[in-house]
Order: sequence, then C-alpha cells, then structure tokens
Amino acid sequence: MAEKRPPRAMVGAGNEEFWQGCDNGELLIQKCGKCGHRPWPVVQQCEQCGSDALTFEAVSGNGKLASWCTFERPYYGDLMPVPYDTILVELDEGPWFISNPKGFANTEAELGMPVKVAFLDCEDSHGAFKLPVFERA
Amino acid sequence: MADHGMTPMPPSLREYSRKASIVGVGETDYARDYAAERKRPEGWEPPIIDDLCKLAFDRAVADAGIDPGEIDALALHYTFGGPEPDEMVRHLGIAPEKAWVNGHIFAGPLPNIVGRIISGEVKTVAMLFGIGNRSSGRQFGGNTYSAGMAGPASYYYFHPWGWSSQAAHWAMMAQRYFAKFGKREEDLGHVPMIVRQHASTNDNAIMQKPFTIDEYMASRYIVRPLHLYDICLVNDGAVCLIVTSAERARDMPKAPVDIAGWSESYIEQDKFRVMVEERLRPQIQAAGNEALAMAGLSVGDIGHFEGYDVASIHLVNQIEGFGFTPDGTGIDFAIDGQITLGGRIPTNIAGGNMSANYMQGWGQVPEIVRQLRGEGGARQIAGLNASLSAMTQTDCVHPVIYTKGE
Repeated sequence: MAEKRPPRAMVGAGNEEFWQGCDNGELLIQKCGKCGHRPWPVVQQCEQCGSDALTFEAVSGNGKLASWCTFERPYYGDLMPVPYDTILVELDEGPWFISNPKGFANTEAELGMPVKVAFLDCEDSHGAFKLPVFERA
Repeated sequence: MADHGMTPMPPSLREYSRKASIVGVGETDYARDYAAERKRPEGWEPPIIDDLCKLAFDRAVADAGIDPGEIDALALHYTFGGPEPDEMVRHLGIAPEKAWVNGHIFAGPLPNIVGRIISGEVKTVAMLFGIGNRSSGRQFGGNTYSAGMAGPASYYYFHPWGWSSQAAHWAMMAQRYFAKFGKREEDLGHVPMIVRQHASTNDNAIMQKPFTIDEYMASRYIVRPLHLYDICLVNDGAVCLIVTSAERARDMPKAPVDIAGWSESYIEQDKFRVMVEERLRPQIQAAGNEALAMAGLSVGDIGHFEGYDVASIHLVNQIEGFGFTPDGTGIDFAIDGQITLGGRIPTNIAGGNMSANYMQGWGQVPEIVRQLRGEGGARQIAGLNASLSAMTQTDCVHPVIYTKGE
C-alpha cells in the first residue's frame, strides 16, 4: 500500500526527469556536460562551471551514511507522525542526498555505513510516486 | 559570484577600515515583551514593528547623546516586512534627507552603510532592524515555508522525506561531529549551558535561569540529537544603531566604536557536503582572514566574539573556523572555560541568540558596543580592544570586526 507523504514541492521546473527516473527504479542525478560535476538538488546551471549543458544520468544508488537526524516536532501533522528518521547519504558519485532509512533505524546508524537505494511506493497530492530511500548495502 | 539576495557590501579594503563608527545603540525590552507574549494577559496585543522600532530608535538617540535632527538618513531592515520608509519617518518624528529599506539580516547592511558614509552619500545614519516573528506564530520548518521564499537547496525541497526544518541542518552537522570527533550530546550541552550562564548577567536576556547538564539532557528534543536548549529563541524586537563617520564620531559624546573590517563568503556548490562535513570551515576561514587583513589585525588581537548561535553546534563551528581553537576541539575548549570571562575568547557574553534575543544578528552588536566602550558592567572583558561578530548561516558567513575608537 502506498505511503502518504508531504507533497513533492518540485514537480515540474526541471524535476520531472528525476521523479520519472524514480518511477522506473533509477536514481537520476544531473551531470554537467562541460565539467562533469554532479549537482543535487536540481539546478538550472552547473554550480561549478555555470554551464547549462546538464543531463540526467543514473547513478549507482550506492553510498555511505554521512549523517542522520530524527524529527521530534510534527511539522507535517498526521502525514509524518513523529518521531521519524531522516538520513544524509554520500552517493558514490559525489552528491550528498537527503533521504529516509529503510530497514534500519537511526539508533543503529554508523558513520560511513554502506547503503543502497530502494524505492518506496508513495502517494502525495500530485498522485502516486516512488520515493528513493536507502537500506543497508 | 551569484546574486545571493543579500545587501551588497563594499570590498574589504584597508582604506575603508575605521572610517565609520557606531555612536549609539538602542534595543527593545526583549525579556519583558517575550514574557507578556507567553502569558498573554487580558488586553494584551502583539507588539507592532512600528512601535518596537520607535523605542529602539529613541533609545539609540538618547544613548548617542545627539539631537535627532543630526540624523540625515534612515536605513530600514525587515526580514518579514515592515512599514514603508515615509511612514516610519513620520512615526519616528524625524525629517531625514533620505530614508529607504536597505536589506534584512545583519552584517551586509552595516558595511553597506559604511560605504555610503565614506562616499559622502550620507552622514549620520540610523540603522533600524525590526521583527515580529514570535507574535505572528512563525515556524521555521514544515509547510509554512513556501517554494517562492527559498532557493533550490533549501528545505522545502525535501518535503517528501519529511526533512524540513532549520534545526535539521544543525542536527545533521551535530550528528556527524559527534561521530567524527567522539563527542556526545552531554558534551555539546556545555556550550548552551555556558551561554545561558552569560545570559544570567543580562537583565534584558529572555532566558536568564541557568541549567545543568542533567536538565539539558532531560529537555525535549527539537530535532534529535539537538535539544531545546541547543536552538536559538524566536522573539519580537528591534535594534537601532547610529553610525557616522569616524571623524564626526570623535566630536560626539560617547566613545566611538569603529568598524574596522568585514568580509563575506558563500558556499557556491555541494551545499550539503560543505555544510555537514566541512561545517563551513573554508568559508569562515576565508572571510575571517579577509576581515582581519582589512582591520590590520590577527586572530590573537580579537578579545571578544559574538558568533551566530542559531544552534550550539554552529557556535562551535565558528569558534573553530575563525581559529580560536583547532578543528574538532571547540567543545573541549568551551568545557575548559575558554569561551567565558577570563578565558581565551569570551563568546556570546550577554547570552547570544540562544538565551538573550534572536534579532538575526543585529542583537549582538549593542553588546559589542557596550564592551568596547567599557560599559559591560559585571561581564566587562578587561583590556578589550577588538571584537568580532559573525552572521553565519547554513551557506554563508559575514564577519565584522569592531575596534575601540582612539
């Protein structure tokens, strides 16, 4: 059953490909055709060299746990009952990615722990979508 | 460099150092207003920015000991809006030649005004900051932030993962710091505990009651691993600074405090990595060194630091980043008594943003002025000649150096 989540603020505005990739089970991150930089979140121009020659390319989905924190205030009311865990993943390709843990809790988290992407069936006010989350590799 | 939406600062040139001075400061009754807002007694109404600004302005003029007619320019600073300049001019009962809105959070606006004084555009300026975010019930997280208000790397982006709060930035930093340097919550707790001890000497601090580490550990989490005490206050208030040329300042009643140096540095890419892994160290070092060079000082000359303690861990980042203590040693440095009176660098000596007031960087300037004038009372730092303030956010830092006028 799809998990209800707060709305994807960035549906459209250059983000369609990212979410379409997730629907296809791929984590698509922009790559700069000029300098090779991998920016995340989505940018209109490369933050390293200013080029707009950006294309979405799949990353491996592998990374390391870089940090984590647990929300204790119900900013989203019943949509995200507290407490809930969020994590920061250092993707092998460079970008640092905010996400949620799957199959482990932050109380078991360790710095540098290898993780890999998984896609969670979710639903928001825009409809059904797949949310990239991370489990132990 | 990209347009960061901040008030533009003149370059950090040696010849701009000590050309302008702060000659008067005024603040509102943060503690009293906060207590009233909490209690909401019969007939209580939220303070309006107009009145908060007028009180701060009147106090700054009285503090400077000048005739309000000497003020030829009024620079207004609101983060979330405020009265139009002509409206505020009428409310203050003055007739400056120029009145305009000059930005919002602290740091950028002060060097900006110094530049205008140097160029002769303005002479004696009242800089007013006013904010009413407590009484308006503002929340720094969740759906209250709209996409239109924040840049692409900001937290509205991460709604689907439930990651949306200012405090969560600091929580990610703190968790990595703990894991990397072998520290625990109860170690970090000493930092807000010390800042609270400082606030206990300040009658206008919102939170003056000291707490113990046990009380810290028992306090609720905001975003784990950060507790209530690790995060800044949210309150209403206003701050006014009267700034004039260093030359004119010498003929005014109060001992002038000179603006000696400034700089700014921004994270330009890989925000999350630089914020969480580097804790803005490259930006703090670059801007700190440039501001010191402008002032002709070294870090050893700085005797007082007012860091932007939006969160305890971020104060640690700044103490380390500016070079008061090596990377990874800031918590031990604080526990060792080095950030309090008698230590290496008395820091947030009146209670900072965690305990005294949250005026988005403006609230720490009056204490710097008091300290450099020798008006610090029980918390006066002996033999002080130079203070440093730093407005340090998630992606940028704005240091300003102040020196005692000759």
